[in-house]
Amino acid sequence: MSIAILLLTLTLGAYFIAVIEGWAVHGRFSLTRPALSAVALFGRESLLARTPDRLFFEAAPVLLLVAGLLAVAVIPLAPGLIIADLATGALFLNAALAYVLVALIMAGWGPNGGYAMIGGWRFLGQFIAYAMLIVMPITAVAMRAESLSTTMIVTSQADLWNVFYQPLGFVLFVLAAMGLAWLPPLDLPNAPGDLAGGVEAEYTGVRLAVLRLARMVIILALAGAIVTFYLGGWLGPWLPGWAWSVIKMLVVTTVMLTTGRLVPRVREADLLAAGWKLGIPLALANIFLVGVIALVVDI
Amino acid sequence: MMHGARTGMRTGLRRLIAGAMARDLCAFVVPGSDVARARGLDLARAGLHLAATPRHANVLLVVGTLPPDLRDAATVAYAQMPRPRAILALGADTLAPLPAADATGPLTQVGLVAALADLRRVVANGAFAAKVTDFDAPALQTRIEYTCPMHPEVISDEPGNCPICGMTLMPKEASASSPAAHQPKQSAPAHQPPAVAHAAHGHSTHTAAETPAQYTCPMHLEVISDEPGNCPKCGMFLVPVDAKPVGHSGHDHHDHHDHHDHSKHVATETPTQYTCPMHPEVISDEPGSCPKCGMFLVPVEAKPEDHSGHDHDGHAGHEGHAGHSGGPAIDGIEPHFMSMVNLTRDMPASADGLKMEWIEVPFGPFFPGLPGGLGLTLTLDGDAIAETRVQSLVGGSIAADGLTPAEFVERFADQSPLCRVANRQLACLALENAASVAPDARTATARAAAVERERIASHLGWLASFAAQTGLVWMERRAAAKQLSIQAAPVDQIAANAASLRAFLHRVRKTPLLRAKLAGNGRIGEGKPVVGPVARAQGVQSDARAGDWVYDALGFQVVTGTGGDALARLHQRCDEINQSLELIARAKELSVPEPQNIGTVTGQGQATVETPRGAAHLVVELLGGKLVTATYRPPSAAHIDLLADLIQAQEIADALVAVGSLDLSPWGLPA
Repeated sequence: MSIAILLLTLTLGAYFIAVIEGWAVHGRFSLTRPALSAVALFGRESLLARTPDRLFFEAAPVLLLVAGLLAVAVIPLAPGLIIADLATGALFLNAALAYVLVALIMAGWGPNGGYAMIGGWRFLGQFIAYAMLIVMPITAVAMRAESLSTTMIVTSQADLWNVFYQPLGFVLFVLAAMGLAWLPPLDLPNAPGDLAGGVEAEYTGVRLAVLRLARMVIILALAGAIVTFYLGGWLGPWLPGWAWSVIKMLVVTTVMLTTGRLVPRVREADLLAAGWKLGIPLALANIFLVGVIALVVDI
Repeated sequence: MMHGARTGMRTGLRRLIAGAMARDLCAFVVPGSDVARARGLDLARAGLHLAATPRHANVLLVVGTLPPDLRDAATVAYAQMPRPRAILALGADTLAPLPAADATGPLTQVGLVAALADLRRVVANGAFAAKVTDFDAPALQTRIEYTCPMHPEVISDEPGNCPICGMTLMPKEASASSPAAHQPKQSAPAHQPPAVAHAAHGHSTHTAAETPAQYTCPMHLEVISDEPGNCPKCGMFLVPVDAKPVGHSGHDHHDHHDHHDHSKHVATETPTQYTCPMHPEVISDEPGSCPKCGMFLVPVEAKPEDHSGHDHDGHAGHEGHAGHSGGPAIDGIEPHFMSMVNLTRDMPASADGLKMEWIEVPFGPFFPGLPGGLGLTLTLDGDAIAETRVQSLVGGSIAADGLTPAEFVERFADQSPLCRVANRQLACLALENAASVAPDARTATARAAAVERERIASHLGWLASFAAQTGLVWMERRAAAKQLSIQAAPVDQIAANAASLRAFLHRVRKTPLLRAKLAGNGRIGEGKPVVGPVARAQGVQSDARAGDWVYDALGFQVVTGTGGDALARLHQRCDEINQSLELIARAKELSVPEPQNIGTVTGQGQATVETPRGAAHLVVELLGGKLVTATYRPPSAAHIDLLADLIQAQEIADALVAVGSLDLSPWGLPA
């Protein structure tokens, strides 16, 4: 039963993301267009590029989807409403999302085309910039909860949400999450303006549908992670826990999908410089501060 | 949809899918969305989504009649679209070699909406058909050529062996047609220095006469033969190894000295050493296995001074997977023998010293971030520009012979869809100068106002394209909407919209992180022949309007900026929009230039007009009231030659920003 509810939430969440993204990209809010696009994609040819690396080309969208689904599995919507309540949930999330890099490089390599390949390798560079900023803020969150279990992390925020307890970590994690989900302004691997679709450029039909769905699941997983780690998960007054989780996730996805489009796409070199010269010292400072607070104050 | 339908019986499910497709039309615009906007088409309002690549489109939208080269390129783009696909042609006289359009209309917004309604019906009914015809055109023909995995410069039309190393050539698809397609085809770098023998086979010519020699394959060291010949696994020439005397089991130093002392090619060759493809620091004088990873050592030419060279840079990247660039892998070649040390040895190294595979990627003529019709072929070294080839697919000389002045003005304006008013003005002025007539002050001022209105629209159109390129979707939408609302607006409407336009430009300048993205990019050195906003953005007072009595009367003064980079050009264009708004307000009247009746004039006339991209120059020659020749120098001609230097060694995104900031128009450029 809980699995069914979770799957329903996942489906609706992914659809919501498609609606918001359509609104952000095309300037029109349409509840039906994503459904039409999806149906239309299923009717189109799934073309193969000229001399593809067939295995990589076919496997990449599926791998991306699997990585997203695995990450979703450890996000709790409410106490007991979680697919897998692992003791190492936070670590598992991180491990699952590591395959996003693999999948994107495969997607870039597979079709044997210039745009896609540059997009794939660009994401490798982007990974180097965001990877530490996913792990290090999670470390600080786990320090406070004294557990890597995602449900324990939520309950540890009963008195004070982590967004207030460790705001620095929150900001870094959100930015890194946008990098991981290649959302604008960190959409370097598919950069519509300078790579004409990049890693997505050679995918058509069903494969493209899977690729786009996978990306939505990843965005959803990351929004769930942000809510779980920083925004108190299901905690909230009046409404049932799952409702709070869903509301918070929708707000987070909307912010992630829309705000980044107000700034130009970040240059790869600038992204790497910011990630390493600024991001990592700040993440270390965050861990240090959280450690000091955890020792001194009892919340 | 003869060539566009997908095979399948029209079942209920397929009807449903076709219905969804008809409502989810995604267009790939040729020559480009810049031209569509300049022609007054509001694609978003008509309900068309734009695709960045033909792979994601189901409608090929043809805007206006395309020159032949561009039609060939459009054919390639059409062939890349997944079926079901359709063609929507607006105001296009001829489409061949493209198949016939599925819906047509005049080149207006009304025409677009009506044609789109037709197209939706066609798609809903014809997306699936029981019998479909494959689409084929000469522009799509490819041929198979054969190339050596180790020596990409070796290209042959027939299968065979590589003349350099003897390996079996591998088949590779190559385009038979010349026009640059949208689709990037990875091609082997044709920029390698001429055949330099690989170290691995450097000894192949030195057969030993007296001492017993053995032969081995540079790729398959387990292949040992007593006679020269070809490798049974890959067909490469076997190379001699210095055979150890039979029964001699020692591996100590003495053997080596002994061996080298009596070597038959001491004088002319460097001694053979062996190294591990993965661990270049492992150097051995004898073949064997790597102590670190167990791989077979491969022979190298000993270069004592070069042990720490760049050859083993990990960034050598994907070249190692020969199967990727060349097609099917050859049976029996184990990939790890494609050692990076060998494969990158003769490759050109870029400024950063890293040796990477060079790939040639076409950007354009329909690339979403560049002006439509501009074919930019970039050779990429990793993601940096190693070589640039620029080509206009919409250029060529101006046909004028025998035209009447009125026909010429229309024709000339249509040949530059991005600045039609300025070119009308240019043609009218040139014709009037030939006839030594001049319009009255009021007409001249009204014409100037029309040129200024187009400047505003053109700069906004540039801003929309530039915003799309840099990922600023909101800015693209707003700029496009403002361009469409202003480019045909009368004076009072322009005045009414001026405040909101200024507010928009203010917001554009204040966009966060714009400085980080643009500052310092695309700088052109001093003394280069720059014109128009690009020149003024670096402080050069270059403006054909200066000194023109019409503009003097309107109080025109040249606006210049400083910096000369992409950011300065953005600011410059924003400033010029503001200035043009003022000029129009002062002119109070606006009329698009119309050719006057100049009678049966014989003579020559010339004119220069400051178009949105800089000064354009036209010389016309008339005989008895008809045109004989017209010589046109478009403003972008000055900038196109600067491109290669401008983007050399830049990262691809930076390079495209730099190109975009120049606001090139490929229309009318010398072919």
